[in-house]
Formats: sequence, C-alpha cells, structure tokens
Amino acid sequence: MREQLAESLKRSLPAEAVLTTREELRPYECDGLSAYRETPLVAAIPADEREVAAVIEAARESKSPVVARGSGTGLSGGALPHKDGVLLSLAKFNRIVDVDTLARTARVQPGVTNLKISQHVAPLGLYYAPDPSSQIACSIGGNVAENSGGVHCLKYGLTVHNILKVRAITIEGDIVDFGSNALDAPGYDLLALVTGSEGLLAIILEVTVKLLPKPELAQVIMASFRDVESAGEAVASVIGAGIVPAGLEMMDKLATRAVEDFVHAGYDLEAEAILLVESDGAREEVADEIARITQVMKASGATDVRVSRSEAERLRFWSGRKAAFPAVGRISPDYYCIDGSIPRAALGQVLTRIAELSAHHRLRCANVFHAGDGNLHPLILYDANNPGELEKTEQYASEILELCIKVGGTITGEHGVGVEKINQMCVQFRTAELEQFHAVKAAFDPFGLLNPGKGVPTLHRCAEFGAMRVKGGRLPHADIPRF
Amino acid sequence: MQTSPASEALARLRRVQPPLAIIADEEGLRPFETDAYIVHRETPMLVAVPETEDQARAVVQVCRELGVPIVSRGAGTGISGGAIPRHDGVLLVLTKMRRVLEVDPLARTATVEPGVRNLYVSECAEPHGLFYAPDPSSQSICSIGGNVAENAGGVHCLKYGLTTHNLLAVRAIDADGDVLEIGSQALDAPGFDLLALITGSEGNLGVITQVVVRLVPLPERIETMLAAYPTVRQAAEAVGEIIGAGIVPAGLEMMDRVVIDACERSMDMDFPKDAGALLLAEVDGGAEEALDAMERVRAILERCGASEVRVASDAVERAKLWKSRKGAFAALAQILPDYYTIDGSIPRRCLPEVLDHVFALAKEYGLTVGNVFHAGDGNIHPCIFYDANKPGDLERSEEMGARILERCIEVGGTITGEHGVGIEKLRQMCVQFRAPEIAAFHDVKHAFDPTDILNPGKAVPTLKRCAEWGGMHVHGELPHPEIPRF
Repeated sequence: MREQLAESLKRSLPAEAVLTTREELRPYECDGLSAYRETPLVAAIPADEREVAAVIEAARESKSPVVARGSGTGLSGGALPHKDGVLLSLAKFNRIVDVDTLARTARVQPGVTNLKISQHVAPLGLYYAPDPSSQIACSIGGNVAENSGGVHCLKYGLTVHNILKVRAITIEGDIVDFGSNALDAPGYDLLALVTGSEGLLAIILEVTVKLLPKPELAQVIMASFRDVESAGEAVASVIGAGIVPAGLEMMDKLATRAVEDFVHAGYDLEAEAILLVESDGAREEVADEIARITQVMKASGATDVRVSRSEAERLRFWSGRKAAFPAVGRISPDYYCIDGSIPRAALGQVLTRIAELSAHHRLRCANVFHAGDGNLHPLILYDANNPGELEKTEQYASEILELCIKVGGTITGEHGVGVEKINQMCVQFRTAELEQFHAVKAAFDPFGLLNPGKGVPTLHRCAEFGAMRVKGGRLPHADIPRF
Repeated sequence: MQTSPASEALARLRRVQPPLAIIADEEGLRPFETDAYIVHRETPMLVAVPETEDQARAVVQVCRELGVPIVSRGAGTGISGGAIPRHDGVLLVLTKMRRVLEVDPLARTATVEPGVRNLYVSECAEPHGLFYAPDPSSQSICSIGGNVAENAGGVHCLKYGLTTHNLLAVRAIDADGDVLEIGSQALDAPGFDLLALITGSEGNLGVITQVVVRLVPLPERIETMLAAYPTVRQAAEAVGEIIGAGIVPAGLEMMDRVVIDACERSMDMDFPKDAGALLLAEVDGGAEEALDAMERVRAILERCGASEVRVASDAVERAKLWKSRKGAFAALAQILPDYYTIDGSIPRRCLPEVLDHVFALAKEYGLTVGNVFHAGDGNIHPCIFYDANKPGDLERSEEMGARILERCIEVGGTITGEHGVGIEKLRQMCVQFRAPEIAAFHDVKHAFDPTDILNPGKAVPTLKRCAEWGGMHVHGELPHPEIPRF
C-alpha cells in the first residue's frame, strides 16, 4: 500500500519530496498536541500547485486520506497524520507573492510564518494584526485552517476578519478562489466557511491578508486587584464603558508568582490578580483612552495602577504574559492548558467556580488568559507520576469546559477542535447542527478524504459517547473522558 | 376528487396550531408580488404570516412534505429581487415576528426576531448608550432578517463592517424543518462557520427566526465634512489618500455633478456651484480621537485640491449634509423618467479609472449617468438614466450596466456591493465565477436544501442556464420616494 502510493506520487514529484521510511516520517508524527502521535503512510512535500494537484489526485484515486500541515504548531491535533494516508506538508510554499501598499494587502503562500508577513511589510509602516503567541513559528495557512486569534484580536479580530481571499484546491482537484479583493463577494461566504475548517474542506494554496497601519503609539496599563472576581468585573466595566483596548489580559497570583521568578517583569506579587490593558492608536487617542481605562480600574477597586512610561517598560510588562506558559512549566512537572470561551459577563462567576473545583480536586490551577475576549486558558498543574492525577486533571478539565457551555460559552477559544475536543462537540451541539456540519463536509469532500476524524464527530461517535447538549443548566453525563 | 397543490397546501396550513395568518385571495396576494426590484412581479400561491418560530417551522414542514417552494420575506425592501415570490410557492412573511427579546448592555448584544426593523434595534439600544452599526439607507423600514439574508451594508460599514461582522448568532429553520442554532455568544464557535455561510445566503439555506446582534457604543463625538472638487478624479484620489494615511472614517461618500444638481433642485442644499464632485466624510469616536481625525482628514481633503471644505458645526448641520446623500436616489428620480442603479464593488485604488470608464461608456451609449456611492468601500452605484418610452433606450442602459459590472470584475472587483444577487445578477454570476466555484455553491446549497425548496432559482445560477438580464428600473417617480435608499 505504502509502496503503491509512494510510486504514484513519485510520478509527479521528485523522489526526495516523497518520504516513506519510519526515520523520515518521525518529525511528522504529531503537531503541538504531542500527546497524540501517528505515523503517516507517506509524507509529500510538494513545491508548487501542480505538485499539490498531483498529490490530491493520487490520494483520490487510491481513496487515501490527506492531512495538510503547515508548521505543526496547532494545539488540538488538527495536523495529526492518518496512519493510512498522506501527510501533505506545505513547508515549501513559503513565498510572499506580492504586497499592495495602496490596497494594504499581501498575497502569501500558506507556509509563510505569521511573523514574517509583519516583518516583511514593516518598512511600509504596516503589519498583519492577528498574533497567536506562536507567531514566530506558525504558518499563515495553519492560521486560516484554525482561525487563529492572539493577544490583540479583541480589537483587531480573529484570522477570519483579517483575510480577503483564499485560493484552495478541492479533493476533486479543482482550484477555487474564495472571497475577493473588493468589499463584497457575491454567492455564499465560502471564505468564512473554509476559515477555521481545520483542513476538512479544501487545501489552502494562497492567502490574501489585510494589512493595517502600525499604530503611532502603544501603552500598557498594569492594574492589581485584591481578588480575581473584582478583576473580572473590571474587565466587564472596561468593555461596558465603550472602550475597546488593543489587549486585555488577566493573570492570577499563581501565574504572576511563577512568572516573576522567571522573567522579573515587575508584577505586583501581593495582588490576587493583575490585568494588562493595552491601548494603541494616535497619540491623543491613546492618552485619552489610558486616562479612561485608569479611571475604570480605580473605580473597580484596583489597589495599584501603573502605566508603561516607555516602549522598553511596555515590553517588560508584556514579557511576563508571553512567558507565562513556560514559567508555569517550571513550577510543576506537568500542566494542561485548556481553551474555552465564555460571555464576558460570566468571567467573575466562572473564575470563582474554577477555584472551587481546584480545591475540590486538590489540583492547582493558574489562570493566564485573554480576559477581554472571554477566552479562558486555565492551566491545571499536575504530576503525571502520581497515580490517578492525570485522570483527575482530565476530569477537572472537562468540568471547566462544561461550565463554559453552561454559561453560554463554547468549548473553543482559538485552538480549534482537532482530535482533542471531538467528544465535547457532542455536548456543544445537537444532532441537527452536527448533521448540518456533515452535510457541508460532504458537499466539499463526499468520500471524507480530507483530514478525516477531526473537527466534527460522527453522530455514531456521539451516541457512543453518550453526551447530549447542556440545556437549561442541566449537566448531563459528568463522565466525560479525555479532553 | 383530485386536489391541487395549492388547495392541499392551504388545507394543511389551516390545520397548523395555533392558527396562522394565511392569505390566499387574489386581492390579498397582490401587495406581495414583488420586493423593491419592481421590474419583476409574480403572484405567490399563498402567503403565510407566522407569529412564532413554531408556526414558521410548521410552514416549512408542510412545504417540504408537499415539495412546495418557499420564499421568505421581511420588509420587502431588497433591490435584487431576493424576495420575489413564485407562483407555485408559499411566501413566508416574517414581519409579524418582530419582538425584541433581550437587550444585554453588559454583553452588548440584542436578541431580536427577524421582522424587527433595523432602526428599531438602535432605538432600543440607545438608552444604554449603544447602537446597531450597519445602517442601510432603508433602515427605517428594512428588517433585520432581510439584512442578514442579504448581508446588508450602509454608509457606516467602512468603519463598522457589514451585517456579517455585527452578528453573534442566529436561529434558522433548515429545509428539513429542523431548527439550527448557529454561532455563539462567546468569542469562538467551534465547527464550520455556518453563521457567515448563512449570512448573505439570500434565503437559500434556511429561514432565519432569531438574530443576536452585536451592539457598539454610541461615539462620544461625530464630525462631518463636505469637500467640493473640480473633478470626480480628484475626489477619488482624495479617498485613496485618506485611507492610505491610515484613517478609517465612519463614512466616506461621493456624489458627482449630476447628483449634486438633482439634490440642489429637490432639496435646495446650497452646495458649491462649480463642483464636479462632492465628498462627504464622517469621523467618530472619543472626543479627542474624533477631533484629531477630523483635522487630519480636513488637511488631506484640502491638500488634494478641494475648492471648499465645510465642517458641520452641530447636529442640525450634520443632518443637513447627510440629507443630500440619503435622499439622493429620490432626487435622481426627477431627472429622467427611468433609471437603473448598478451595485458593484472594486478595489479602492481603481476608483478614478473605473469612474472614467463609466463616463466614457455613458458617452458611447449616449446616456446620462450619475454617481452617488460609498467611495471609502469602493462600492459604486452608477445610476444610468433612460426613457423606457424611447425604443432601444432600455436595452442600451442594460447593456451599459452589464459592461460596468464586467469592468468591476476586470479590475479585481465584484458584481455586488451590498444589494445581493437575487434574480437581478444571476447572469453576471457566471462572469464572476468559474465552473468549479459555481459547483461548490450548488454543493453547499444541496447540503442545506437537498430538494431545492428554499428560494429556488435565486442567487446562484445553474451551470447550464445563465438567466435573463434585468435591473432595478425606476419608472417615473420612485415608489415611496420618502424612503432613503442605498
């Protein structure tokens, strides 16, 4: 099987672009969710559209699954290979095709890293706004496939809000253009549909992104709070006051202490929670906004409010936030990062409940997250060497996600579903909606060859899983396994 | 006795509990025979007017079982014919589903039924210091369900986005009669983005029964400017300069000489007499921010050769400046007996070139054309004037319209800006897209509506048939000239 597939691929691709040995395939066996590993049958590294088309054709003819992969930084296992399929790496698609300064757009290949786009257009005074923390490594194709967010998406939106056009190839081998360079694209919004579809609908070949003028000035406020709940309320008050900060992040005491030992960002270690609130724009606008945010922080009971006085200090304040995950890694043998989102108004309530659950499970939980978006990232600290602790952690994690659904939120914020949350999808959605997802999938990929088993669970799986939707605050089946 | 589909549908719909308003008599059906694309008319088989989602669902279920097409309709202000009924189908009118279910000032959302008028959402939000941003010119009467179905825009969508950027969730009935909850109140909704997919799908994928919209804070300060330019080209270049400077105005609209004259005649605007084009620019935000942006925009407007720049000194003056823009289409109706409005969008930098082309075409065809449009978005609305009583005039205007749209495609733009495809632009869809893309649209349609009962024949042409070419034809006076348009 492997030989056959490799042979048919080598008819169109150079031999060195088709990997078949265990050794060669090892680097592709997982993405950023390293708990799951699988060796693909073959890995193909095409260099142009013609070669991608050849890979698609070979896979279609032999009914082999195709999993597309960019930089492999995804956190939900979206690029986990299929053991009977082709792993299609887009690493060679790494060119910035063109930049249109007047229209403020860049046309890039999917393997270009997120940060490279911003670096490339920096001399023009422009940048690409979505900034996942992995932006130095993650690729734009993967950003589109996962609809990535980042610290600044509160003001600037997710990937879907920052792209104009996608060129993609379908499993039929047709090259299609979704979206347009103009205001409106007639027909159904297939651009939005393919964004965040986790490689299930088509393979992305080119992306036209929007670029923004670099703000004249950015300043960050660091505010301390006596308890997590009042910090949560401060977040709601900022938004309620009609302010849209460029970033609005929260860290609790467990996180700030871990960070301070690690990078010395100058955080208030007595505070139960701190907020980092960034304002950017024209000078007058920032001055005005900083004054208003400061006022809201004080009115919400902040015990200390500091404003960055220089670019160096701004970056220092942020350094702690950006280093938070590795810092937490230093204080615990293992940790588990959860990604869920909730309506902002529920922040205080949910954080309190997370703390109660922490006490109940006797597991520490650090909170470092995009508070302004209501995008939670609780980090559960555990030690996999203690028998039963991993299971307890998983139980705790699933309770947090169910809590998200219960308050009207969702099981994802910015990390996607992948293989990680496939079971939670059964809790999030009812049969009618899941059927609709499958109908859409079948419309693009009738034989289910593109990234099968990811993103959307089969109804059969949901039936086995025994979940149903949380309605009216009733939590069904607390026995949700692995998340 | 053999029953006709009409009598069978009628009998079944009459059994729906609680009883549903049904219109079946010729006289009663007449008002529903068209939307704002009045050149095309068709009397529906029946009109059903549900007051609840359950009733709407019952109608869909009956239609599905009988294989009867359903066209859903809100206020009927669409201008591409999306809500034009079918003689063999049920027209599902959602205007009685018009409750505002919740306004949540903390989450800044409003949950409304589809028949709620666009402007009413903002009126309900105003006591909380909030508003619903997308503002099609017909906002005083158009309904939010129709806004979602057409992905409506408006003068302020340059800054605030189209309908699709201002929605969080919808409830919709699919062709199987299942209610789908699409989107979420949180940052992200897992699964495919069906919310964006159903938005702008022109009634082809589901019947919308509830909408959760995003509300935004009312800006603290608004500044409105009017700048006069000797030529359209100069005004178009000023648009490019403003955007190029990194400023995102709340609105940036252009009117050419033909439109200025028409407004002057019907509204007595006291515009600069010698201007070839006017730009209306609005900036908003915090007090400092709006003032700062106003100064920067004014400097650019002047630098680009404006012969005059006026800044509205208060709300009354601002309203007056906007009155000309919002009333422009009604004013135009007085120039010639008939006109045809084109809706296309282009990359902004192509504005001067495309407008030159529009004028050259007008010369070639011997027709008058007026331009009043969302310049900041590159959304053009050339109005071609003709006299339907002159043989060949109508055909020439249609041909010219088609060539303008083709030009939009050539420069990298599209055949729609904010009016949708409906039945008006089915043929242009074949020019805009290649066969694989049209096929992908049909596959998506089939995924939601396998038996093709939801608004069949609209928005996406069949590959075999590129439908007849039509337009928004104004005969004499516009119907309801008091309603602002576009």
